[in-house]
Amino acid sequence: MTELEAGRAETLASVRGGAAFQRYRDVLIAVIAFAVLASLPLFTGSKALLDFVIRCSAYGLFATSLNLLVGYTGLTSFGHGMFFGLGAYSFGLIMQKLGLPIPVAFVATLAITAVIAAVIGAICVRLKEIYFAFVTLAFQMLIHSTILSWASFTGGDQGLRGGIPRPAFLGINLANHVHLYIASCALLVLGLLAMRQIAQSPFGYTLRMIRDNAARASFLGIDVWRAKLTVFVLAALFASMGGMVMALFVSGAYPEFAYWTISGEGIFINMLGGVSTFLGPMVGTVLLLLLNDTVTRFTEYHGIVLGVVILFFALGLRKGLLDFVAEWFSHRRDAGEGR
Amino acid sequence: MTRTRTPGISRRSTLALMGAGAMSVAAPWVARAQAKTIKVGMPTILSGRVAQLGTSSRNAVMLEVEKVNAAGGLAGRQIEMVIRDSKGQPQEAARVARELVNTDGCEWLIDGEASSGSFAVHEVARDLGVLCVHTCSEASSLTADPKQHIPNAFRCVRQGIHDSIVGGSYAASISKAKGLKKWATCSPDYAYGRDTTGEFTLYLKRFAPDVEVISESWPKLFQPDYTEVVTKILQAKPQALYSCLWGGDLTSYIDQANIYAMFSQMEVFAVNMADYTALTVVKNLPKGIHSGNRYIKTFPTTPENAAWGDAYKAKYNEYPTNWSWQNATAVMFLTEAAKKANSTDGKKIAEVLKGLTIKCPFGADGTVTMRGDDHTLVGYAIGWGTTIPQEPYVPEVKAGDWKTIFELEAEWKKSKGYI
Repeated sequence: MTELEAGRAETLASVRGGAAFQRYRDVLIAVIAFAVLASLPLFTGSKALLDFVIRCSAYGLFATSLNLLVGYTGLTSFGHGMFFGLGAYSFGLIMQKLGLPIPVAFVATLAITAVIAAVIGAICVRLKEIYFAFVTLAFQMLIHSTILSWASFTGGDQGLRGGIPRPAFLGINLANHVHLYIASCALLVLGLLAMRQIAQSPFGYTLRMIRDNAARASFLGIDVWRAKLTVFVLAALFASMGGMVMALFVSGAYPEFAYWTISGEGIFINMLGGVSTFLGPMVGTVLLLLLNDTVTRFTEYHGIVLGVVILFFALGLRKGLLDFVAEWFSHRRDAGEGR
Repeated sequence: MTRTRTPGISRRSTLALMGAGAMSVAAPWVARAQAKTIKVGMPTILSGRVAQLGTSSRNAVMLEVEKVNAAGGLAGRQIEMVIRDSKGQPQEAARVARELVNTDGCEWLIDGEASSGSFAVHEVARDLGVLCVHTCSEASSLTADPKQHIPNAFRCVRQGIHDSIVGGSYAASISKAKGLKKWATCSPDYAYGRDTTGEFTLYLKRFAPDVEVISESWPKLFQPDYTEVVTKILQAKPQALYSCLWGGDLTSYIDQANIYAMFSQMEVFAVNMADYTALTVVKNLPKGIHSGNRYIKTFPTTPENAAWGDAYKAKYNEYPTNWSWQNATAVMFLTEAAKKANSTDGKKIAEVLKGLTIKCPFGADGTVTMRGDDHTLVGYAIGWGTTIPQEPYVPEVKAGDWKTIFELEAEWKKSKGYI
């Protein structure tokens, strides 16, 4: 081994060590987060708070998965909501028509989503920017229209009625509010941890390179199309998980879950929270739901309030909240160190 | 370099943030600390395209609640309505309904949701066991389908199937009298439009078997331009046209069809015409459009109904809608049930509501009944008449026969496998 090679090996070892440390740190944070969330029912009897966290789980998974596309890969999808709806409908229909155990229905829904996302993704990821955005939107409208027109199967515009059966499995009864709450928290934490691992893996860095300069990535021997398709399918899976949580929460599935407004809310959440930090969309989710729940208590003109908030973030901060805070902290640190 | 303070959030801002957080979490609980009143939650649509109907529901409920409170309340308790916007989104409707019960402490729900939202609220009622009266969803399956049945939910709304039976029989009698054999249909392309049109033509053909539908048009919901649809119908040259377009869609359609003088070339049957939201908005309301009654203060032709319509107009400076009378009736039912049970307990009220008949300005014979076996409203005023361009808009309405409705409804339920 030459001196140079030895130096490289040392650097590589320290990088690997750093990555391993970061992974353990992420797992530790996830375990603590889950422990805190799961112990919440011990301290409060507030069902509204538990409902809030369940909804945060559904939207949080959805919005963070959208950020894998928007923030990490530079693919602004306007149709990501279709996978949220697809998850809710597939899961609801499997439970209503086949009555399978919940874990089987969960895995089957993910499998269905993966196949459909692979087909749609194969067509869409070849396109760039606005063309990608609009073709994803077109597919979303196709799925939404299919749900509306196939009334004998999907219930049409009245949705899946009659409730989603929730048989107990492994001692977990999702018809029980606290059980559903803990299951939603577990899915949220596991989903976020998995997405974090994807984002921090070499594949995640490949995605960032594609976002910054796809031609360069291609010249370095990366199959850009395959990488984009992979992340498209992965993001669809997590969105579908969010849809399943929502279906369990409302005990039904409705065409609005697959409508473009859900995709719009996803983009809005990302704008609110920020796309350059991993937890930005999660912060955006909490902010949007808090804003929505508070504002609708007092006025039906919530559109105006939310519009003003968007303007504040877009024109005032010019970035999402967590991005702003992260930048502010690094600025303070730099100032503190006299740089 | 000297550092005067460490970077980061100061203790003061931390305390301020914690205080703000505690305030936002505690606010709902502070609101709950009021005794003596009974809180009734109502999710409805107060923003978006059908906001007018949601607002008219709120108005009607408040009109009745004020009367009840002025008369001493329910079993000695004043009613406090908590009305929130669901934006017409089912997940919001479910969220708001749960919040109203779990956080605001509402003991009953009046569900002012349409279509999918009502099914979402129905699931909340199933889950929480709270007394719930649906007041806006006309989807027959909400109460007809035994899978939907729960002991604590009732529906105080007209039903699609009732309208189709009465409409079919009325249209058949006109068909026979005027020899209208060639029919066209034009309805919005979604479940309500397709189901209602299908049921109408089913009963039309049942009462007048020689009728033939020669043209069908399915414009999109909220379509702005109907030129294509109007010309298609004119080319088919039918003798009569059926439509279940509603609200803004119906008024735009009529305004555009007027340009082609469509209404002088065929008899038009528009089930949703006789509602003030449509009647007062059309620029040139053609004479002689046949319509089902939605809400019209001249039908039933009783002083009670006219007085109710006038009282509403005096208070809100506009006429009530179809959703208004349904919501008002729900409050009347709940009031009567609380009186009979001498309690505001949801379970006791639900027991009393089953099969309860009350006096009501909107009843076909001055009364309406909450049918016991499927928890749905029957006996309300239902009929068809023809329009004139000025008030009272539909001077004479031919009332439907409830005996026939019950017979055919039972047949329909059997055909659907509901009974």
